[in-house]
Amino acid sequence: MKKLIYFSIGIIVVLFCAPIATFAQEKPIVIGAPLATAFLYGWDAERGIKLAADEINTAGGVNVAGKKRLLKIEVIDTRDLEPGVPVADALLAVEKLILEKKADFIVGGPVRSEAALAAMDLLSKHKKISILTTGVLTPAYSKRIAENYGKYKYCFRNSSEVPPMMGDFMALLEDLHKTKGFNKAYIMVQDVAHARAGGEYMKKALSEKKWEVVDMKIYPTGTTDYSQGLIDSGKKGAQILFLWMDMPESAALLQQWSNMKLKSLPMGFMNAAEQPGFWKATGGKGEYMIVNLVNGGNAPAKITPWTMKFVEAYKKKWGLEPEGYGTSSSYMAVYQLKDAIERAKTTESDAVIAALESQDFMGVYGRMRFDKKTHQIIHSWDPKEGAVTGMIQWQAGKRVQIFPPKVAEGKILLPPWMK
Amino acid sequence: MEIIIYGIINSIILSLMALGFTLVYSIARVPNFAHGALYITTGYITWILLNKLTGFPYPLAIAIAICVTAVIGALIYRFILIRVRGMEISEIIATYAIGLAILEGLRWGGLRGGTFTLPPFISGSVQLFGVSVDYQRLLIVGIGIVTFACLYLFTHFNRVGLALRGIAQDERAAMMLGIDSDMTAIVSLAIGSGLAGFAAILLLPLGNIIVEVGYNVLIFAIAVCVIGGLGSWGGTILASFIIGFAQILTEAFLSTHYQMVVALFAIIITLLIKPSGIFGKQKELEERV
Repeated sequence: MKKLIYFSIGIIVVLFCAPIATFAQEKPIVIGAPLATAFLYGWDAERGIKLAADEINTAGGVNVAGKKRLLKIEVIDTRDLEPGVPVADALLAVEKLILEKKADFIVGGPVRSEAALAAMDLLSKHKKISILTTGVLTPAYSKRIAENYGKYKYCFRNSSEVPPMMGDFMALLEDLHKTKGFNKAYIMVQDVAHARAGGEYMKKALSEKKWEVVDMKIYPTGTTDYSQGLIDSGKKGAQILFLWMDMPESAALLQQWSNMKLKSLPMGFMNAAEQPGFWKATGGKGEYMIVNLVNGGNAPAKITPWTMKFVEAYKKKWGLEPEGYGTSSSYMAVYQLKDAIERAKTTESDAVIAALESQDFMGVYGRMRFDKKTHQIIHSWDPKEGAVTGMIQWQAGKRVQIFPPKVAEGKILLPPWMK
Repeated sequence: MEIIIYGIINSIILSLMALGFTLVYSIARVPNFAHGALYITTGYITWILLNKLTGFPYPLAIAIAICVTAVIGALIYRFILIRVRGMEISEIIATYAIGLAILEGLRWGGLRGGTFTLPPFISGSVQLFGVSVDYQRLLIVGIGIVTFACLYLFTHFNRVGLALRGIAQDERAAMMLGIDSDMTAIVSLAIGSGLAGFAAILLLPLGNIIVEVGYNVLIFAIAVCVIGGLGSWGGTILASFIIGFAQILTEAFLSTHYQMVVALFAIIITLLIKPSGIFGKQKELEERV
């Protein structure tokens, strides 16, 4: 009888201890992701972050001083890419992640430059480390960190910014100048701050390199007819159409360009042309468009051994290729945090900052290293030296990496009517 | 020459955008602020039929989408507007709220990004007096003119059309002759919404099906109607040509980024000089001013 009682007690203890053991599991590390989820640069970042977190959790989680902690992702819609939504709304979203969702780290946005710059003070106030991965291209972000390191040391950016992007474009254009003899460019940009600034920057840079910028047109958001500008570019003999637009309607520009068979090659920063669905959406009229995806890995390419693994994992989880700017960098940021936390052996901010500053490993789009002063990812044309860009050209329905030369998988093709 | 050709195209596009809005206002006296939302809804329904049902015929998808939009318009009147009819502020709030709910609902439901497009009816372009014009734009001009003609014939020689005009001219007198005011309003909402959908089918192949386009279409429709005179068919067409050419001229000789400003500036000028619009019949408004 006694044996039966002891056996029963033993069974009860085992049954009760199992759930207790589960409950006693380490507290998850909460990653807050403030993103404009209704827009490409928001939803692709969300998918990248969730993919990385799933992979890490499946492998057992993050090893914090010998204890395995899982990652928990909290996404909040900042709506900061929607017209008319004030910056304050994005800040409230970030604060909600920190105060209500108890985020240990911030990854992703805010996506709009103005909102991200304003959020820096908030991150500093709450001593929360943030890795900016999408949207924001302004050099003002890294400049502010360098100028006031003590205050803004919590802010990092693992994505590229305007100056290196322009350097990439200029190198590509110089190559076209040498190989094809191109020397006339026509700039068409959207009437938003970053696009106007990008257009002006290119105008100046091209003029300094002896290119003739025959005109620059600024289009209001929502424009679907670019005929006058395109006809004008043809009359003025432009060989390059430099575009900087983040509105979906800009796909219409390429349709008109293709219909008119203009003797110019379109290239630039164009949201509509980033997504894998662009080809179908334009009925192939966007062929030959050269797009800067800001970071490598946002389209299939063999940049590092990890790039195609990421692409395949993304396809498996989400059913399509990485979609555009913000995908690979958001994925990478979670791994960067994991690496830093494991080396710091804590989630405490100062220790993780030091670990991020000394970080050096091969990621999806090259060597992942932050500049110690600006906390900006170090850019390079060689993946062994730094993070490389994702410059692609649409060729026969595929996004083909054409720059930088060390990771290029194809050459620039010209439309048949240009030959 | 490109200014004349693209000026005409742009003008026809604007008048197609505004046609449904004008029709509803001229007959039911309802400013349908859900007009832009119905425009996008038609495009989205067509896209779904074409992309989710393999091999679905394009013309059938178009017909179904326009019919569904027309039914939605009729239902909006039958279940919502009928209760606030005659109270213009309430009508504006109700229709704007419906439009907002539809557009943001579509966004929430997945209408995001630049991959939602409709194929052009005919791909390619042609040189017209030395100016390259794509076939879709030429079709828009042709179909637009035919649409205006059909609407004229419908409202002048068809019993339903004559009833609609009767209500538009004098509602009480028309009711005394046995014309059902509410039924006429339902029909006008259905036709107006169908026209918004018809415009969408013609114009969306030039761009993308995105929520923001719905808001833009509403702005342009209002601009055209305010300048032409609310409820005036002739005014709508004339105002479309004024704004259409003004935009093209602005783009050619001033700067492209003032295109949108042109329409808004024209509204302000019209309201200052002739508040009822070029062919507006709201004399009392002029007298008050």
